[in-house]
Amino acid sequence: MEPLTFEMILVMLMIGIAIFLFIAEWIRVDVVAILMMVSLPLLHLVTPKEAFIGLSSNAVVSIIAVIIIGAGLDKTGLINRLVRPVIRIAGNSESRVIIAISLTVAAISSFMQNIGAAALFLPAIQRVSKSLKIPLGRLLMPIGFSAILGGTITLVGCSPLILLNDLLEPFNLKPFHLFDVTPIGLALVGSGIACFILFGRLILPRGSSEGPEEGTQPELQHALEELGEPYELHTPEDFTDYREPVRVDDLKRRYLINVVGITEPPDFKVHSPTADMEVRSDIEVLVYGRAKDVRRMADEEGMVLKDDLEVFKNDVSETRSGTVEAVVAPRSPFDGKTLNQINLQDRYRITPLAIYRHGETYRAEIGDLILTVGDAILIHGTWKRLKLLQEEASLLFTTHLDVELMRPEKAAFAGFWLAVALTMIMFFKIQLSVSLMTGALGMVITRVLSIDEAYRAVDWRTIFLLGGLIPLGIATEKTGTAAWIAHAVLHAIGTVEPIVLLTVIGLLSTVFTLVISNVGATVLLVPLVVNMAIAANADPRMAALVVGLATSNSFMLPTHQVNALYMGPGRYRSVDFMKAGLLMSVIFIVVMIGMIYLIYGV
Amino acid sequence: MAIITISRGSYSKGKEVAEKVAARLGYACISREVLLDASDRFDIPEVKLLRAIHDAPSILDRFKHGRQIFIAYIRSALTQRVKKDNVVYHGLAGHLLLKGVPHVLKVRVIVDLADRIEAEMHRDGIGKEEARTLLIKDDQERRKWTQSLYGVDPWDSSLYDLVVHISKLTISDAVDFICQSSSKEQFKTTKAYQQKMDDLAIACQIKAALVDPFFDVAVTSEYGNVLLYTRLSDRQILKLKKRVEALGMDIKGINNLEIHAGVPSPPNAV
Repeated sequence: MEPLTFEMILVMLMIGIAIFLFIAEWIRVDVVAILMMVSLPLLHLVTPKEAFIGLSSNAVVSIIAVIIIGAGLDKTGLINRLVRPVIRIAGNSESRVIIAISLTVAAISSFMQNIGAAALFLPAIQRVSKSLKIPLGRLLMPIGFSAILGGTITLVGCSPLILLNDLLEPFNLKPFHLFDVTPIGLALVGSGIACFILFGRLILPRGSSEGPEEGTQPELQHALEELGEPYELHTPEDFTDYREPVRVDDLKRRYLINVVGITEPPDFKVHSPTADMEVRSDIEVLVYGRAKDVRRMADEEGMVLKDDLEVFKNDVSETRSGTVEAVVAPRSPFDGKTLNQINLQDRYRITPLAIYRHGETYRAEIGDLILTVGDAILIHGTWKRLKLLQEEASLLFTTHLDVELMRPEKAAFAGFWLAVALTMIMFFKIQLSVSLMTGALGMVITRVLSIDEAYRAVDWRTIFLLGGLIPLGIATEKTGTAAWIAHAVLHAIGTVEPIVLLTVIGLLSTVFTLVISNVGATVLLVPLVVNMAIAANADPRMAALVVGLATSNSFMLPTHQVNALYMGPGRYRSVDFMKAGLLMSVIFIVVMIGMIYLIYGV
Repeated sequence: MAIITISRGSYSKGKEVAEKVAARLGYACISREVLLDASDRFDIPEVKLLRAIHDAPSILDRFKHGRQIFIAYIRSALTQRVKKDNVVYHGLAGHLLLKGVPHVLKVRVIVDLADRIEAEMHRDGIGKEEARTLLIKDDQERRKWTQSLYGVDPWDSSLYDLVVHISKLTISDAVDFICQSSSKEQFKTTKAYQQKMDDLAIACQIKAALVDPFFDVAVTSEYGNVLLYTRLSDRQILKLKKRVEALGMDIKGINNLEIHAGVPSPPNAV
């Protein structure tokens, strides 16, 4: 074995720092990547040119193009159109709904970002769950897992696979083609869905306590029950006598009720009043709250609780105002902020009622809670104002609002350009990045989406994460660190069959992807396993492929973006993911290794 | 209808003043009872509690949280007593332990050192120098205690509503002043003030129930809506939740309880 050089130690140190920062999350993962991008050339581990080569790499450009194409498909409502027939076909049996939607999501996810596919389907699944009376928790996890698995159907399905050919380049290995992984991917999707159909009853949470029969309007209704109903109260004429002024905020803090409407004499109505608005004598107040709390408030504050809504009767109707559930989506500007900072109340004149997170409902002082991806916020307001919020696109509305910002007339163009891109890849063997960028450009030129919308759609976090970790991969390879670690590991495990080696690599990738990002795991592991495979006389391409696939094996923790997104609306707890995810992960490894064995005869 | 705290150094006639005020107003007069309550309820020897509330924290205390735990117990016992209203508390640190209750009349009684030395010599039968050393040491301990826990100096008169120097003014003058002040409008127990007091008592009770081992959980209560603020890890929070669930039944007056993780606690949290 070669001796350990100083440079190798430096590279290992940098890898260690990167992994530590990925896990500790003191700084965001993409910032860690940029840190690597800058510090590696400073340490003379890569040349300055190599340091930034990642940003212009085939992989990064492909991902940008895939995101833009996905955004285009979304904008034209093409996906939504796809959903309708799927739901018709599915009928009303739970298994058929899961199979039909999962297959569709997997298919879509195979050529766009997994998280994009998952996010697109969330409102549709919500509607299906509502109309077919199936608890959302029983649908979302299978579909979310299918979105992740669908990413392994083509080489553009998920970031690790897009990255794979770039990582193989320094080794002069034959690149993979777009559909080389398809049989494996299809087998994975198939076994994933089968797993839920066969064992769903055992591994999925029971859903809400009502059971499937009563779970009519599952999560929103469930949350609303905890939040209570609208009540109208009247303040007597002597309400403000001999006491400190009572403000809207006081009532909220004292009784955990939300004042959503208040009258101003003579006949003016204020919707979603501000927190500091005073509750005066002889007016009507519309509140949302639990019966118990409302009664307590009426007693202690001396208000008169009416049996029915009177003044606000028309305002709570379906057409004027209502309550929606909105989820903090990945990349949302709300992530990491508190409701107080966002100030929905002043900006949109809507009232956040509660936050639902990891199976807990938060009702008190919700303005102070730091929002994270997957938090579901229950918001009350007039439909008009809620639509304004939806247009800002910081939150993903799981309750459907009939708002049309789509460009359905451009659907044909969107489909055409997707077909063009795929044709270029499949039949003309033009490089991935060039083909996909052609499709993206086509969409912009035919006004499926504007160039500004295209820029906005791009997730710069992913781009820099990729671009920054590629030089780390280069440094690992160039200094011989990868070869050294590979030899050390092989030395430790002794001589093994190639199939055992691949299984070990699969397990290693699974562990890595659970703690650091899938992209990070791929970049770190591919040079390593290629060297390991060469040293063990196994096929290095297969070793790399195992990493590319197994980094999608991220089911056991809600760390994967898709899982994080579905956690809130599905009311899942971490333990739900562990239960279903463990089985899924084992099946994943077995099916993947089995398929590689069958197809490539390793 | 008021709550009066009387803060004093040792041998400063505070006890006498307190007892006379209580007698005149018909209030309960408490001091050591609080420690006995806490000792009973949490099964901690009284002497340990006394040390926690009296002695300045040692270096070791920075690493152990024993003192915080004991103080939470004492505070819980004190608020339980005081919320019944019409009390004079002349034990240690009342003005600090009842922080945030608006209608507490905070009094400090001071006496010249020479008089205190004499009182101590007389009572304990020791020499002048020894008495002086003991008193100065005692004052220093008190100073360090309040400074390390609350960042204030007990001799800072702005902490109190009323400071009475008993020298030319007599004990009975002091009693007059205190009784007169306590009848002022601002010290009357209104419904809202009583609510604040009850909320503090609930928060203190919860804090005492959780403080071992969750010593850095901060608690607030407003109209029985309890919030726990913590920076614990997710796994620790699960444990905390279990403990909280078990406790919900025992403490009266809780309307709603939520754990807000990662949110900075407000200054009025206990």
